Amino acid sequence: MTEAVRNPRLHALGAASIELAEIVGGMGVLLARILVRIHKFDGEELVKNLYKMAVKSLPIVAVTALFTGAIMVIQAAVIVKRFNAEGLLGWGAGFGTLREIAPLLTALMISGRVGANNTAELGTMVVTEQIDALRVLAIDPIAFLIVPRFIAILATLVMMTLFADALALFGAAYTGQGLLGVEPMTFFNGLTGGLLDFGDVFNGLFKSFVFAFVMALASCHFGLATKGGAPGVGRAVNASVVASAAGIFVLDYLVSFLG
Amino acid sequence: MSATTETHPDPSPPDASEGVEAELGFVGSIGAAFLDIAVAARELYSVFVRTLYYVFRGKRVKGAVLHQMNEIGVKSVAFICITMGFIGMILVYQSGLQAKRVVPDFTMLGATYLELLVRDFAASIGALMLATRVGAGIAAEIGSMVVTEQVDALRMSAADPIDYLVVPRFLASLVMTLALIVIAGTVAFCSGAATAYVFFDVRPDIFFNMQLVDVGDFLTGFTKCMAYGAAIPIVSSWCGLSTFGGSEGVGWATTRAVVNSSLAIIILNFFISAAGFLIFPG
Repeated sequence: MTEAVRNPRLHALGAASIELAEIVGGMGVLLARILVRIHKFDGEELVKNLYKMAVKSLPIVAVTALFTGAIMVIQAAVIVKRFNAEGLLGWGAGFGTLREIAPLLTALMISGRVGANNTAELGTMVVTEQIDALRVLAIDPIAFLIVPRFIAILATLVMMTLFADALALFGAAYTGQGLLGVEPMTFFNGLTGGLLDFGDVFNGLFKSFVFAFVMALASCHFGLATKGGAPGVGRAVNASVVASAAGIFVLDYLVSFLG
Repeated sequence: MSATTETHPDPSPPDASEGVEAELGFVGSIGAAFLDIAVAARELYSVFVRTLYYVFRGKRVKGAVLHQMNEIGVKSVAFICITMGFIGMILVYQSGLQAKRVVPDFTMLGATYLELLVRDFAASIGALMLATRVGAGIAAEIGSMVVTEQVDALRMSAADPIDYLVVPRFLASLVMTLALIVIAGTVAFCSGAATAYVFFDVRPDIFFNMQLVDVGDFLTGFTKCMAYGAAIPIVSSWCGLSTFGGSEGVGWATTRAVVNSSLAIIILNFFISAAGFLIFPG
C-alpha cells in the first residue's frame, strides 16, 4: 500500500471482503488437507486430545447445563402459570432445550474452552517454530497435529451435547419442583408424553456435529495462521472464537430450517 | 516469522493437574479444586473492589474511555447484528414449530417472543456473544502487556494497572453493553418478524404486540444488561492480569477469559431470572 487510498470506505470494504474470502478459503483448503490424511492419524495424540478436550471440560459443561435447564424452566414458568398448564412444563422447557439451547450453549462453551485452547496451543507452536521443527524431522504436521485434534473436537462436542441434554433436563425438573411445585414425575411425563421424540434429540445432536465441524476448522486454521509473538497468539485466539461463534449461529440457522 | 526467546521442548503445554492428581489422590484433588475456586473468587473480588474504588477516586486519562467504547462497542456492532439476526430467525422458527404441534394459532407468537426477548434472550445471548468478542479481546490485550512487562512498567511509574487499564474498559463496557443489547434486541425482533411473515403468515403489525411486556420484564432485562456489562470486563481483566509465561500464557488467559465470562453470564442469568420471577410473577 504505497500509494494513497483514494476512497477509504471502499478500500475498507474491499479489504474486509478479501479477508473474509481468505479465511473461508483457508478453512476450505485446510479441510481438504485434513480429509486426504483422515485415515493416518496419530492414535496416541488422539487419546491425549480426547482426554484434554472432553474429560477436562466435564465440570464446565455440567455447570452450564444445570443452570441452562433451570433458566429454561424459569422462562417457561411464566407461560405455564398464565395458562395453568403444569403438565406442559416438561414439553415447553424440553423442546427448546433439546433442539436449540443445549446444543448451542454447549457449543459456545466448548468453543471457548476447547476451540480457543486449541488455537492458543497451535499458535504457540507456530510462533516458537515447533511446527517448522516437525517439518524438518519429516513429520507431517497436518497428520500428526491437526487430524487428531479435528476428530477429537468432533467427538467431544457430540458427547458433551448428549451429556448436557441429560443434565439440563435434570436441572429443569428440579427447578420446576422448587419454583413452581411441579413434581419431577409430572415434568418427565410432559417430556415423554408424545409431543417430543428422539427426532428432536437427533436434531440437536446433528446440530452439534455441524457446530463442531466449523469450530474445529476455525480453531486449527487461526492457530496455524498465527504470526507475531505473544500478542499474535492473543489475536489468533480472539479471531478464532469470534469466527467460531459467527459460524455456529449461521449454521444453526441453516440446520434449523433443514431439520 | 518472528522468533521468540522462549523454547518449549515438549509440544504439548505442561498440564500440572495430572501430576497433582496422582500425588494428592481423589479427595485431595477435590480439595485442591475448591481451594483454586476460593483463591480465584478472592482475586476476582479484589479486582472488582479496586475497580469500583478507582472509578470514583482514580485519575482518568483523557479519551481512554472513549477509545475503549470504540473498541468494545462500535467494533462489535457488525458481529452482534449478524449473530442476533440469525438467532432471531431461529427462535421464531423453532417456537412456531413448537406452537404448531399444540395449537395452530400464531396470533400470540409475536407477543410471547417479544416478552422473552426483553426479559432474557436479547440480554443473555447478546452478552454471551460479547463475552467471546470483548472478553477475549480484553484478556489478549492485557495478557500481552503482562508478558511483555508493560504492566510492571506501569507499576514502576506509580500508575495502578487497575486504574489505568481496567477502569476505562469497565466504564466503556457498562455503557456499550446496554447500547449493544438494545441494538441486538431490535435486530433479533426484526429478523424474527420477517421469519414469522415468511413461514407462518403472521403480519408484522400483528407480530409487533407489546401486550405481554410489562415493567417487570423491562427491569429484569435492564438489570441483566448492567450485570453482564460489569461482569465481562472484570472477569476478563482478571484473567488477563493473572497471565504468566510467554505466548502460551496469553493463549491460556484468553481461553480462560471466554470460558469464565460465559460462565459468569449463565450463573448471573439464573439468579437474576429467578429473582425476577419471584418479584414479578406472571
